Amino acid sequence: MEKLLFKDIDEPGLNTIDVYRRRGGYERLRKALAMPREAVLNELLASGLRGRGGAGFAMGKKVSFLPKGAMDVYLCCNADESEPGTFKDREIMQKNPHLLIEGIIIAAYAAGANKAFIYIRGEYVLQADILDAAIAEAYAAGFLGENILGSDHSLSLVVHRGAGAYICGEETALLDSLEGKRGNPRLKPPFPANQGLYQGPTLINNVETLSTVPFIIEMGGEEYAKLGVENSTGTKLVSISGHVKRPGNYEIELGMRSRDIIYGLAGGPPDGRKVKLWFPGGSSSPVLTGSDEDLDLPYDFDTMAKAGTMLGSGAIIVVDDSTSVVEVAYKTAYFYRHESCGKCTPCREGTNWTLKMLDRIRKGEATPMDLDIIASVCENIMGHCLCVLGDAMAMPVSSMVKKFRAEFEEEIERRRQEADLASAMPEPELPLIQGAVA
Amino acid sequence: MPRPEIKMITFSIDGREVQAPENTMLVDAAKYGDVEIPVFCYEPKLGQPVGACRMCLVEIEGIPKLQTACSTPVKDGMVVHTQTQRVHEAQEAVVEFLLLNHPLDCPVCDKGGECPLQDISFGWGGGRSRFVEPKRHFQKPLELSPLIAIDRERCILCYRCVRYSQEVSEDYQLVLQERGAASYVATFDGHPYVAPFSGNIVELCPVGALTSKPYRFRARPWDIEGAGTVCTMCPGQCNVTLTVRDDRVLRVLARDHEEVDDGWLCDRGRFAYQSFHVDERITSPLVRVDGELRPVPWDHALDVAADALKRAGGAVGALAGGGTTNEEGFLLQRIAREALGSPHLDSQRAPVDRRSLLAIGDPGLQATVPDIEYAHAVLVLDTEPVDEMAILDLRIRKGVRRRRVRLAVASARPSALDGNAALSVRFAPGGGPAFAAELVAAARGEAASDDARAVVDLLRGAGEDVVIVASERVGAALAALADALGLRDRDGAGLIVVPSSANGRGLREVGVLPDAGPGLAPVARPGLHAAEMARAGAEGELTAFWLHGVDPLRDLPYRERWEQALDRATDVIAHAAFLTEGIREHATVVFPVEAYAEKDGTLTHPDGRLQRVRPGIGLQGRNRYGWQVLADLGRRLGLELRVLTAGMALAEVAAAVPFYAGLTQDEIGGRGIRWQEREAASAYPRPEGLPDLAAPTVREGAGLRLGTFRSIWASPEVEHSPALRFLVPRQRVEMAPADADRLGLGDGQRVVVSANGSRVEATVTLRHAVPAGSVFLQDGLVRDAANTLTGSVVEIRPAVTSEVAG
Repeated sequence: MEKLLFKDIDEPGLNTIDVYRRRGGYERLRKALAMPREAVLNELLASGLRGRGGAGFAMGKKVSFLPKGAMDVYLCCNADESEPGTFKDREIMQKNPHLLIEGIIIAAYAAGANKAFIYIRGEYVLQADILDAAIAEAYAAGFLGENILGSDHSLSLVVHRGAGAYICGEETALLDSLEGKRGNPRLKPPFPANQGLYQGPTLINNVETLSTVPFIIEMGGEEYAKLGVENSTGTKLVSISGHVKRPGNYEIELGMRSRDIIYGLAGGPPDGRKVKLWFPGGSSSPVLTGSDEDLDLPYDFDTMAKAGTMLGSGAIIVVDDSTSVVEVAYKTAYFYRHESCGKCTPCREGTNWTLKMLDRIRKGEATPMDLDIIASVCENIMGHCLCVLGDAMAMPVSSMVKKFRAEFEEEIERRRQEADLASAMPEPELPLIQGAVA
Repeated sequence: MPRPEIKMITFSIDGREVQAPENTMLVDAAKYGDVEIPVFCYEPKLGQPVGACRMCLVEIEGIPKLQTACSTPVKDGMVVHTQTQRVHEAQEAVVEFLLLNHPLDCPVCDKGGECPLQDISFGWGGGRSRFVEPKRHFQKPLELSPLIAIDRERCILCYRCVRYSQEVSEDYQLVLQERGAASYVATFDGHPYVAPFSGNIVELCPVGALTSKPYRFRARPWDIEGAGTVCTMCPGQCNVTLTVRDDRVLRVLARDHEEVDDGWLCDRGRFAYQSFHVDERITSPLVRVDGELRPVPWDHALDVAADALKRAGGAVGALAGGGTTNEEGFLLQRIAREALGSPHLDSQRAPVDRRSLLAIGDPGLQATVPDIEYAHAVLVLDTEPVDEMAILDLRIRKGVRRRRVRLAVASARPSALDGNAALSVRFAPGGGPAFAAELVAAARGEAASDDARAVVDLLRGAGEDVVIVASERVGAALAALADALGLRDRDGAGLIVVPSSANGRGLREVGVLPDAGPGLAPVARPGLHAAEMARAGAEGELTAFWLHGVDPLRDLPYRERWEQALDRATDVIAHAAFLTEGIREHATVVFPVEAYAEKDGTLTHPDGRLQRVRPGIGLQGRNRYGWQVLADLGRRLGLELRVLTAGMALAEVAAAVPFYAGLTQDEIGGRGIRWQEREAASAYPRPEGLPDLAAPTVREGAGLRLGTFRSIWASPEVEHSPALRFLVPRQRVEMAPADADRLGLGDGQRVVVSANGSRVEATVTLRHAVPAGSVFLQDGLVRDAANTLTGSVVEIRPAVTSEVAG
């Protein structure tokens, strides 16, 4: 497969504008600016490109939702890549920042936006510095600023560094944070496309999504749509981590068999180990097991949804049989409890409660009844929250409890014994019916 | 922005067809079908819903996920279910979540018995908990402020208080600290939450997390009764419900009235009830014997007062103010005019003549309080709402924030609303009428200053509906300005004139004016206005003063002259609640004045709404109703007033004021009625033209020009309410840093401010927004009040401290 996003990714100096331009950089921008806005938008629609941040919403459709009018339109690039297991945007920004910038300029042109922001997570200090330098180069070269390349398109682009909250990757919380407020999600509707940043129409897209835009212009939307499978077009960066021999970022064509990613690209689990479970789309996706059935699933949006999970941000976390599922559930819940903003009740209280119950399992103070409560609490969180953070904990945790119930029960028993507590479910010492035993 | 049109639509809820206004939130629309959807965070008064508590989840056909009813506008044909298994489970789950960390200490919680969390847990909860973990703990209760205690364990994090602080009162003090399950409400750096409207968060709190410190542990809901009345502490006349236990007022709650207060109260209105039940209150008639005021029987006091008034006859000067009701004002002026033959009556701080009052009170120019919110533009002219009519401050902020009202502020002193204003202009202290005249000129296209033109351009540019909120002292120019802007007879536009006392408008209209009788009718022989009375008293022309709810030394300018006048007067008859200095030193007879919780009468709101003050507690001590005292006095002076009840007193008023004709207590009812909306309004006298607008020129001088203001906290009720005492202001002089630099003064320095040999001590407060050349001092203080100074140009020098002097 020919790589798009990762073509030349390891070329030394690709982060500078000179190298980038030698590799054909900013030519796609020139091409886009020579097209009418509508034509650019049509290419995006034709490409079938779905958002790479997690929700998988069609990017072209998002652009087309922006209301027409005289108000300022904003573009926000979501670079608050914080989902555990996800580290693909970092590599793009670090190694090929101009690709992102070019994508932003083209997307802003299609959206009619004149002000763009890159909201980058605070911990990405190096990447933010690289972006700042790249943006300065782009301004100097006339790709940003007034009347880009002599067209009527003007764009200012600012890198805004977050302060370290996972929730600020949620698009409306990102907007609040960008406006200088506490980063809490907003009610939707109104959707950002209608009332986003400073109440203006706002297009929000992930780094990878925007970085794909230049290729769509280069190849044409229809041509791009031939990559991948139906409804999951194009290529996708996958971050593989956990118990695999070769963790890292890989660019794949959507629809590839999951086994080929985990075993083929990443080399599978260490020798002698078996895949116990894997998160197909970041830590917020319901887990799949190491069964052949799950491993043979094609890796695309619709198949994952049909399997009861999601492709999410494309971060595959592999857990092998050396790790207790209780620990995995606990770590997952810990993260989301810590990152819950506290605005809505089910997420704030539900993540906290779930973690406390999982902790009791670890300490040997739980009973199998707690598993039912965990499942019920997760059920009560899902679909009832203001944003999806609550679901992001409830989905994987409840999937683990459901798929690994037996292991949970064993662990509960084992740890109760270790803690010197009586068995939760004592074995009857005598047969219940006298004389039944021959 | 003008009021939106309301369209009724039909939707289905729980299988029934219900009509509701389109786009109201489902929670409210459901009420049209008698369906209650439980809420915690939703409170329409706070603005846009936030959908945080998730209590109001309901099922809407066609939408797969449950939706929050608080944030879903109702549409025609919508099909809503609130009683399905799914909805029940979701709501039960939210209650369970909310109670996880709640201490359930209802038996010792102030909120117990009137707690939405209790009610909703009972109505929608599962009645059990599966939570066996330790609950979240906080230190508790903590003082959020001297008025409010916070119990963070009880808090369910609905953010109502934070949203209130951020989006309604806009003091921006309350925030959420930490996040997730560790979130808690606090001020940013832990300083006390002190703001003019802070107490509203107690009433907003749906649990017992925020409690009123003065009310804590004083009563349970089953011990108390609620009594609706109207607060008479400022012209805002907010509607309140008194919480009464054993004939004592223990709490004041807002009695939501969209046309008056929008459901909020200021902290003075909320907490100053404590002054109703303090020992310092006068609850018996007093007569000065051997230089000392002593309690005496009523008959004796009435006899002494009647004799004194009879002796002075036409040389009596009568003043009314404070919470004096229409009935009391009316009886007072009848006795003064008819029994004593004295035309010397006043109820205004600064004189505005009858013709001007007639013009600015004209129904055709009258705006209502809600108009502020729906206007295209609002001009605040020469008044500081938060101090003079507190509740308007919140209303103006609401208009600007939620309905994009364009706000212009024109004042001498920097205003609390400057931050919300599209344009703020400053004029020299005392220059209000002059600036208003300039505005008139600008509006007529005549020559005017840049500032005046800019204000008029802003108002005109915003749209036709302009509301002018102005102090009464601006006078005649207000009517000319409203006419020049084309506001006459325009719905949603006009004037709101803030009077100098709580019932200023009512007292004017019942005839407590030197040049007008009831109904603003001309009088044959005009009397002296307040400032002239002081002079006449000092010169011996007036020999007795009759003070109803006014202490001239405290409430009026020219303190020095008033001191001479009261000193020289043979008799000073006072109706007062507290022995403030002027009363204590000079009164010969003191009649107790009821607190508004005891009063029975009517008030007239600045927008013309007559409201009833109804007794919520019995008369304290040996108090009598004010109208009764006046009727008794009248009888002793040979004037039969035919007043045996408050209702009869109102009938007398209604018979004498043509545009109040036929008003009864029943008609006024619990919500009041604007006289402009009754037929009798046509009996309002035709305006008789305006006096010359050539405004008084502001005296230029070498020194600093003195402006004065009276803080919301400068009142005897605040001084005598233990909870509020920490807010009693001390004199400070607000000045521009440039002036301070020139004089070598620093922030916080003690200084002496002097004029013509009179002097007050004050502390320097530097404010960048004060224009150079202007300084501001406070009125209404116990000591060092601005009215001590006898000139308007002052000098400031450092105070010599005693150590240095010694």
